[in-house]
Amino acid sequence: MITAGIDVGLEAIKIVIVKDGEVAGKAQGLSGGAGREQAVGRLWDEALKEAGIGASDVQKVAATGAGKYDVAFADKTVTEPIAGARAARYYLPGATSVVDAGASQTRVVTLREGGEIEEVALNQKCGAGLGSQLRYLARRLEMTLDEISALPPDAAAGFTVNDGCVVFIELDSLELLNEGAAPTQVAGAVNDAIAVRLNMILNDKITPAKDTTVLIGGVAKNAAVVNALKARSGIGFVIPADAEYGCALGCALLAGS
Amino acid sequence: MTKQLWETRPLEIWQRAKELRAQWEHSIEEKDKLVGQGQTYAGDWSACFPAIRVIEDNPVGAKMASDSDEFSRICRLAMESRGWGREICGYHLNCWGAQFLGHQRDGSGFPYRDFVVPFPDVCDQHAKRGQQPMDLSPIPRWQGDYPMYIGPRDAAREEALVDHRVYCLQKELNDIERVFDQKFDDGRYARLIRERSIQHGYMSEVLFLMANVPTPISVKDLYSFYTMGGLTKLAPEVVTDFFRALRDEIKWRADNQIAAVGNERYRWMEVHPPAWHYLRYYRYMEQYGAVCIGSPYTHAGGGAQVEQKPDGTWGSRETVEYPEDTPMLTREDVTRIALTPDARAPYHFKIDEYLRPQSLIEFARFYKCDGALLPIWRGGVGCDMWRKEQARRLKEAGVSVMHYEGSQPGDRTDLDEHGFLDRLDIWMESQGLEKLV
Repeated sequence: MITAGIDVGLEAIKIVIVKDGEVAGKAQGLSGGAGREQAVGRLWDEALKEAGIGASDVQKVAATGAGKYDVAFADKTVTEPIAGARAARYYLPGATSVVDAGASQTRVVTLREGGEIEEVALNQKCGAGLGSQLRYLARRLEMTLDEISALPPDAAAGFTVNDGCVVFIELDSLELLNEGAAPTQVAGAVNDAIAVRLNMILNDKITPAKDTTVLIGGVAKNAAVVNALKARSGIGFVIPADAEYGCALGCALLAGS
Repeated sequence: MTKQLWETRPLEIWQRAKELRAQWEHSIEEKDKLVGQGQTYAGDWSACFPAIRVIEDNPVGAKMASDSDEFSRICRLAMESRGWGREICGYHLNCWGAQFLGHQRDGSGFPYRDFVVPFPDVCDQHAKRGQQPMDLSPIPRWQGDYPMYIGPRDAAREEALVDHRVYCLQKELNDIERVFDQKFDDGRYARLIRERSIQHGYMSEVLFLMANVPTPISVKDLYSFYTMGGLTKLAPEVVTDFFRALRDEIKWRADNQIAAVGNERYRWMEVHPPAWHYLRYYRYMEQYGAVCIGSPYTHAGGGAQVEQKPDGTWGSRETVEYPEDTPMLTREDVTRIALTPDARAPYHFKIDEYLRPQSLIEFARFYKCDGALLPIWRGGVGCDMWRKEQARRLKEAGVSVMHYEGSQPGDRTDLDEHGFLDRLDIWMESQGLEKLV
């Protein structure tokens, strides 16, 4: 059976095509803002090409993400924690939790033995701790996400920024820059602040996360944030190589059910 | 489309409720022609003065936000420009803003108060209620007080609290008579309190019947009857008849398993007032077969308070109740009977935040709730630093919890409606439910 999952996120669209339980093709690109529907179409063609199939070969399509209703050809929609939970069990059959750190939302899901969802914790409304904050601050600091990701754990060198509000984080960052801190030091402080915020959501549940916790979402690609989160939470996350495709994969796996 | 689980049908009492509501609004217009406007709470007594009309900021402010976001924003701005913070209760930012503007949404003049009787509450702005009208003009103020206690019955403490409250109310009544030269009708007050007690009994039965599976009435429908008690001030016997009829219909529905929501398969609760301008989320949840049973906020006002007894069973919370034939010969007799039952009211939304989690768990268990939707309001009623603690305790008790964020019940500013519904989708799907329609 061939199924597809499309995750239409705030920043990026991710598509995964699954054939007989294995990933056959994938594609990702910017979400396209108002042209989201067209962006989905372009990436859909790309994913089909990589899988070497035509659209009619795909039996079921499921969509998730903030723009899931923009996928006109989807047979069903699922919410992100459901997709993330399914993906976690694909990556790690014994997974007990999954953290999905995306651009617009962070979701922590704990799983029962059979894979059913036990509890979902979401970030609060503020953008602090989210991927969108990381991208925003990267622009402000004139650094690329790759450069920020490559920073060492002690990059902050003792500098700190607010962790509760993106606006205040920006103000703190500017103040540090004005005081002579290097952009890399400020970026290190921003990474730490994101880790603080993510860890708060991890702690907002009853069942503690363990080393059987899968980390997915675009923020999982930022090694510096992940290292800061590991240090703060004490959890050795399982991070798949294609972590940003997590929800799209989960969606594809759920599409046929 | 899933097969319907329970029989359902509209409430037959709707038409009668609408008629009563129209009658109530007409009576307010009539009373507006008279002089004297107070601002108070728990003001059953106000109807016993010939020319005093009570204006309560909470319902007025909620209605303002619901009717016009534009005008309520203008009102709040008028408040903010005078230094009042955004964390002040939204109901009051709306009302007080209109007061500073000097007019209401329809252009009519703001009904300035002739006196105020604020009383303290957990969101604290209640005590400040009297300040705004007094800033404009030197009107009289009587400070209501609302002491209560929690925990096991304590007769000595109860007596002291009731004595204090009786003293406060009697002083208010005596002073208002003197200052405004209006005669308080003690006979009418006694009659009103008797009727109120009977009405509370009926409403309490309705609320307890919501423990039935399926629930015969949802909180969305219940809210439509929520303010009917205000009619007591005008025609107490009529309202008693109404609540008797409501009780009879709800009891019949419970006995015959007539559901409020035909596909009820998930029962959820709340803790504080909802976003009044956005009540559609109740109906949205019903698409999942999820019905809201209410909250300590909705149920305590009707007298449906439960507690776990020492032997582990559940039952009505013990309060002081006087025998029905207790003489009400003096004003003090009546005020004492009116104020005593609330003295031990740990279930109420005014309770101490340390103990609220336990009352939520009691509510969830008694009403067989699977989940709880807890708001994280930025100010006003429901702005609660203990919300996460409540969530933790509920989750430990096996009740799934979802939060949503907003400014406050009477303020639309920060409620992301789409984000709110997305969260409800996430919550329901995480509970293994899909939309049925």
